[in-house]
Amino acid sequence: MAENDFNWPVSAPHGISGGVMNAPPEIPPPDSVPSVAPGAVAAPRILLVEDDSKIAQEVAEELESRGFHVQHEDSGAAGLSMALGMHFDAMIVDRMLPELDGLTLIETLRERKVHVPVLVLSALSAVDDRVSGLKAGGDDYLTKPFAMEELAARLEALLRRPDNSRQTMLRAGPLEMDLIERTVTRAGVPIDLLPREFRLLEYLMRRPNQVLTRNMLLEDVWNYRFIPQTNLVDVHIGKLRRKIDESGRPALIQSIRGAGFMLRVS
Amino acid sequence: MFRNELFRTATFRLTLAVVAAMIGSAALQFFFGYSQANVFEARRSDMLLLREATILQHQTPQELEQQVRDRATDDLRILLNVTTLFDASRHYIVGDLHSWPAGLVADGRVHVIEPEAMDGGSTTALRMVAVSVPGDRFLVLGRSRHMRTELRLMMRHSMLVSIVPTVLFALMTGIILSHRALSRVKDMHEAIDRIMEGDLHERLPAGRQNDDLQRLAGSVNRMLDRLEQLLDEIRDVGNDIAHDLRTPLARVRARLDRALNADHSAQALRNVMAHTIDDLDQSFAIITALLRIGEIENGRRRAGFGVVDLDALVADIVDLYEPIAETKGIVLSHAPGGERIQVQGDRDLLIEVLANIVDNAIKFTPERGRVDIRTCMNGNCALIRIADTGIGIPASERKAVMGRFYRSDKSRHIPGSGLGLSLVSAILALHHARLEITQSRVHDTLPGATMSIIFPPGSVVTPGN
Repeated sequence: MAENDFNWPVSAPHGISGGVMNAPPEIPPPDSVPSVAPGAVAAPRILLVEDDSKIAQEVAEELESRGFHVQHEDSGAAGLSMALGMHFDAMIVDRMLPELDGLTLIETLRERKVHVPVLVLSALSAVDDRVSGLKAGGDDYLTKPFAMEELAARLEALLRRPDNSRQTMLRAGPLEMDLIERTVTRAGVPIDLLPREFRLLEYLMRRPNQVLTRNMLLEDVWNYRFIPQTNLVDVHIGKLRRKIDESGRPALIQSIRGAGFMLRVS
Repeated sequence: MFRNELFRTATFRLTLAVVAAMIGSAALQFFFGYSQANVFEARRSDMLLLREATILQHQTPQELEQQVRDRATDDLRILLNVTTLFDASRHYIVGDLHSWPAGLVADGRVHVIEPEAMDGGSTTALRMVAVSVPGDRFLVLGRSRHMRTELRLMMRHSMLVSIVPTVLFALMTGIILSHRALSRVKDMHEAIDRIMEGDLHERLPAGRQNDDLQRLAGSVNRMLDRLEQLLDEIRDVGNDIAHDLRTPLARVRARLDRALNADHSAQALRNVMAHTIDDLDQSFAIITALLRIGEIENGRRRAGFGVVDLDALVADIVDLYEPIAETKGIVLSHAPGGERIQVQGDRDLLIEVLANIVDNAIKFTPERGRVDIRTCMNGNCALIRIADTGIGIPASERKAVMGRFYRSDKSRHIPGSGLGLSLVSAILALHHARLEITQSRVHDTLPGATMSIIFPPGSVVTPGN
């Protein structure tokens, strides 16, 4: 339920080089490995501002189990002073908070030049609310109730935002993508892709080794904000998989049970 | 209390206004009647005076003198109040006046003479005429204006006599009518109180007369009928939701129960959990769809409205659904209308509409079938027509499919939340557009349904605008 176009210009002619991207561009060195990928030296610090203690506890436990360090505050004012006083790699902010509402909190942070990525949580799903959440300075938007996998995947995406280098070639494992010529090769062998398959693969190649949920793919690759009745994304992934995977080799695009997909490269 | 209410009723106030208007118009009527009678009386006096003067002028001085003397005692005094003979130097000879009235000119015309100008004879103003008569004398005739005074008195009396009972009668009628209106309103208030207490079957009392109050009561009753119907629908929907949510949850419970009692391996337990998550996801999907419908129906959200190109929309949806159609061996085709068709709408919501319809079309079309989408203008309406070669929708079920949780008997075996088309109709209502379901005419040999999304002329963006 988020609009990630604001930070992921999918079709822009730039990219990242292959391999795991451990250093998110906007986070300064001390906690510079905010990933839970193997080899991380410090757990990413997450500030959770949520007044519903049950949800907060669930989210905190889930994220802790995934290797995040979670700091929880239950009011907007406490969340703001915490965010201003300490460094966090990302924040999860509920829209409806006592004392200071979530949007005002984010606006205040942005005014004070605190550019920590923020995921907004809300019980409202109207377009207007999503837009106002993003306008206030939120980076992503998730509507309650949400699956923990969705929250974790989006948080991961916020921590590992693709950099804005002007590369015209994307590399991920044996795959190479030329963004100008619009061609893809696997180990030098050209692969013929339809435009929609190209777009999907580009999105995956910009986020290797990262869990991408079906909703994220629908929203960012197709720009759709609804949950279709059919497993549309699976069918598209299946088509793409048949074109890029070689028989006898491990699948590049892997399904993550209950979560989504991942382009796994070494 | 009740009396105060009576005087505050609209009917009574109307009565008061009518009474005031009645008094006003009666006063005007009497005023014009009186002034007309006055003018008429003056003209009659003048004619009388001049005619008498003419008759008396032709008599000999002796006869005239005798006549004047007689008149002083005679009945004629009622008609001519003053008759006097003066000599050439205007000295009194015989008659009612003892001196020549100041200001009277012997020119044979009628003059109005005030009482102060006369030496006795009258206490009111007189209309007078002086003519010269044989014997070098002057004859003065006068008629008082007492008739006018009498007329005024008569008018005043008749006005009072007629208006007082009329006003009293009108007030009485007003009170009676107000009383009746008040008791009808009171009945309605009581009925409304009963409705507010929760008796939704109660209706406002229906009277016999076909007046404005009755028509209002009729409208309110129709509104109550509609509300009751909507409440019933909501209750039905509530039951349906409960049922549809219960099914996957019951499965979850049964499966967990079995897993608990069986001696499963870790892998088997993981499988149980995976199935459990699938079932819970289905419950979530139903709740999410319901919330979205509610949100679209309640919030008149038009913030996302902009110009939407229908062919671009269809191209997007074909791009999204083509792989699925392919896996079923269904041809999904898009035939652009030729001209560029744009409507005012919310792109995200309209794509959801198309996705739902195309999703259904593919779902209900057997393998090796077709789903054809075309856009066109029909008069001033813009159309998106989705024709499939599926099982079709019988005419009797076409309205019902738009309702919540409706599943055709023929489609019970195909999974889905059953909420797709009610979501579609909610979104289309927001766009003032409608969905028309017909038998497919596109494919003569194959049956199927044709879904037409029809945008009204007001939503269509004409080129140049």
